[in-house]
Amino acid sequence: MDVSGEVKSARDMGLVACTRCTRVWPAGTRSCARCGQRLHPRAPLSLQRVWAWWSLGLIAYVPANIYPMLETRTLVSTQDNTIVGGAVEIARHGSWGIAAVILTASVLIPIGKFLAVAGLALSVAHGSRVSRARRQQLYEVVEYIGRWSMIDVFVVAILSALVQLGAVVSISPGPASLFFAVSVIATMLSAQSFDSRLLWDGPDPSPASRSRLA
Amino acid sequence: MTDLPPETPVEPAGRSLLDRISVVWVIPAAALAIALGVAWHSYAERGPLLELTFENASGIKAGETELHYRDVTVGLVERVGFTDSLGEVLVSVRLDKAVAPYVDDSADFWVVQPEVSARGVTGLSTVLSGVFIQGIWNDRPDGFVERHQGKSAAPLNREGRPGLRLRLRAATDAGLTEEAPILYRGIEVGRIGKAEVSQDGSTVEADAIVFAPHDRLISTSTRFWDSSGFSFSLGPGGARVDFSSVAALLSGGVTFQSVVSGGREVQPETRFEVYPDESTARASVFAADEGTALTLTAYFEENVEGLSVDAPVTLGGLRIGRVASLNGIVDAARFGDDRVRLSATLAIQPSRLGIEQNATPEDALDYLAGRVREGLRARLVTASILTGGLKVELVETAETSPAEIDRDADPNPVIPTTASDISDVSATAEGLYNRINDLPIEDLMQSAIDALNSVSTLAGSDEIRAVPGEVKALVGEARGIVGSDEMQALPGRIDGAVAAIETLTRQLAEADAASRLTEALDAAAGAAQSIDAAAAGLPDLVARLNAVADQAATLPLNELADRISALLDSTDRLIDTDQARDLPTDLSAALRELAAMLAELREGGIVGNANATLASARSAADDISTAARDLPDLLDRAKRILGQASATIEGYDASRGMGREIDAALREIQRAAQAVTTLSRALERNPNSILFGR
Repeated sequence: MDVSGEVKSARDMGLVACTRCTRVWPAGTRSCARCGQRLHPRAPLSLQRVWAWWSLGLIAYVPANIYPMLETRTLVSTQDNTIVGGAVEIARHGSWGIAAVILTASVLIPIGKFLAVAGLALSVAHGSRVSRARRQQLYEVVEYIGRWSMIDVFVVAILSALVQLGAVVSISPGPASLFFAVSVIATMLSAQSFDSRLLWDGPDPSPASRSRLA
Repeated sequence: MTDLPPETPVEPAGRSLLDRISVVWVIPAAALAIALGVAWHSYAERGPLLELTFENASGIKAGETELHYRDVTVGLVERVGFTDSLGEVLVSVRLDKAVAPYVDDSADFWVVQPEVSARGVTGLSTVLSGVFIQGIWNDRPDGFVERHQGKSAAPLNREGRPGLRLRLRAATDAGLTEEAPILYRGIEVGRIGKAEVSQDGSTVEADAIVFAPHDRLISTSTRFWDSSGFSFSLGPGGARVDFSSVAALLSGGVTFQSVVSGGREVQPETRFEVYPDESTARASVFAADEGTALTLTAYFEENVEGLSVDAPVTLGGLRIGRVASLNGIVDAARFGDDRVRLSATLAIQPSRLGIEQNATPEDALDYLAGRVREGLRARLVTASILTGGLKVELVETAETSPAEIDRDADPNPVIPTTASDISDVSATAEGLYNRINDLPIEDLMQSAIDALNSVSTLAGSDEIRAVPGEVKALVGEARGIVGSDEMQALPGRIDGAVAAIETLTRQLAEADAASRLTEALDAAAGAAQSIDAAAAGLPDLVARLNAVADQAATLPLNELADRISALLDSTDRLIDTDQARDLPTDLSAALRELAAMLAELREGGIVGNANATLASARSAADDISTAARDLPDLLDRAKRILGQASATIEGYDASRGMGREIDAALREIQRAAQAVTTLSRALERNPNSILFGR
């Protein structure tokens, strides 16, 4: 079989693979005879699900940044901090490193995820100049990093659990923490909903192939 | 494979909506719907923006400081800025929609800050939580008013309790401290607001509130006094320290009581005086403030010293007002000359006049005008002889010139005046001195000297000198007499005698003896007048008598002279008789008896009897005194009669030739003298006869 030039997908070959037990069936088979999984050559409505979860994540991300993430009550004052506000506050006190970590984990990564998932979904629908392998890499990074996005929520949860000194000092999660968690979950589901096999459908817009086509 | 049915191309049936659109879209759609719903809800539920201006906004932070109503959060400060000219701080508060209609013109706002005062610590919670804005408004939704002026201090009625707002005024040293309590019988029933100095600077005024239900205790007869500080008194019950409460001791406070009954309900914002202590407050009830006074002006002709401001104005002895002010006035146009007159402004309390209750000054003026028409006038009278102080008295006079109250006079109605009745102490004293001066003291002295000379002459006589010895003998004799049993029984008899005398005197008094005597004397006077009339016809008779006298001149006068001489001799003998000489001796004996009798009386222990006797004697004497009251008159008449008689006798004397009658008179005198002698003898024999009447 010549595989040097054209990458042939299973669909091209008239086959469909079970995503649960990996058994390969002829195309058109409804369900896996071995494990009973319904068989789809591609996840049905994959892009719609991606966009749905993505928009939920984006909707939740707005209040997550507007409302306070942490409510710090001390004896004399109550301080409410949003994500960005808290990072700026910390940076103003000179803790640039911590501020950078918070900003990275809570702002850069979620926004990057939104952009990446949106880019991948758009590339499937409209095609892209980025090579399929590069896009697959991007997808894997997004999938991997997604779970770490919850680090902010964990920080809030741990702080709230630890710093409960009665009336003297207490920290409680603000409403933003809930929204942030929802946002993170939504983006993770969005990334999961993305059927990476779609990346490999259609022509490869890599420079090599393009030159060869020309 | 041929037996298989021909493979028909399977056209996928029209995919359902569910197949074409992922179910997952429901989730973001729901999230979006919720978000939009929440957004719309929060926008719809958003209350109006309240703008408060404060002089300063210490501690107010946007997004943190809350607006409280009855200690419940009803709003949040959204923005802190300035008014246009940076004159004040403008605080924008997002208000709850539910309370917005109640925030009307009645609303008050102030910043609650921690405060430590003598009355305790307030606003302690704001130490930790930061300040908050407190609002208070009434319970009627009168429409939202956007802009309010915040107060720099908490208003008086911060709890929104119903109560009566008053205005208290005090002298500067009374305890009108801000936030000081108003106590009633030791219970705090109200509060004093911020005190401020009045416009003229003489008093301090403060708003105050008395909360319901105690506000019904306030009436027009209520008096407030300062209860701050403490009083210390020493009395029969020991030392005593009084103070109302410790808070009042430190920070001041006032208390009140209705000191007399019959006060009327007061309106809000009524002004009350705060007196320094309770006694002054109670005394003030009778001083002033019984409604509006009627002011009158009186012009007194006299310019005398002694009338002062606050001097009383009296009517029929009752004080009805006071002198409000005094001036000298020169008004040639009004009075017609350039003399200085005393212009007194009188403040008269209509309620004191005794016309109906709630009398207005106009009523009082009408009343006084009527009285003036009947003769009521103002005059100056002496209020105190010692100090020479004057007062103004409204007095009914029988003045003939009619007068009216001049109602149109400026500035006050003018009440007519009359001459003053000022009893000057110096004038009175001078009059007294003049009377004393007019007494015939020198004549009196001369008479006294003459009398003393006569006494001296009498005392110098040998007979009188012999009296002591004879008195001694008499006393001895009397002792003998007193020793007799008869004398022992004497006091009882005296008692009887005095009783008899009393009875007699009473009978005399009843019989109106004096008036009868007067009648008798009148008759005598009439007789004398008749004699006088008869004597008028005497000249003729005298002429005849003269003729007779001429004839008589030829008679043997020597014989007459001899007879007269013999008469004088006999008279001399009479006087020179032993009996006459013995008269002092008899007197001595009588005195002795008397002394002995007195001694006996004393020894006989019959003082009780004597007292009774004396009481009887006194009543007898009283009766005699009653009867004797007419004596001066009698004496006058007797004197007149004697004068007439004397004149008549002179007339007769002028006619001379009365030797025969004189002779007869002398014989009568001789007989009388003999009768006296007989009497003295009888007395000598039986002294008791004068006492017992036999």
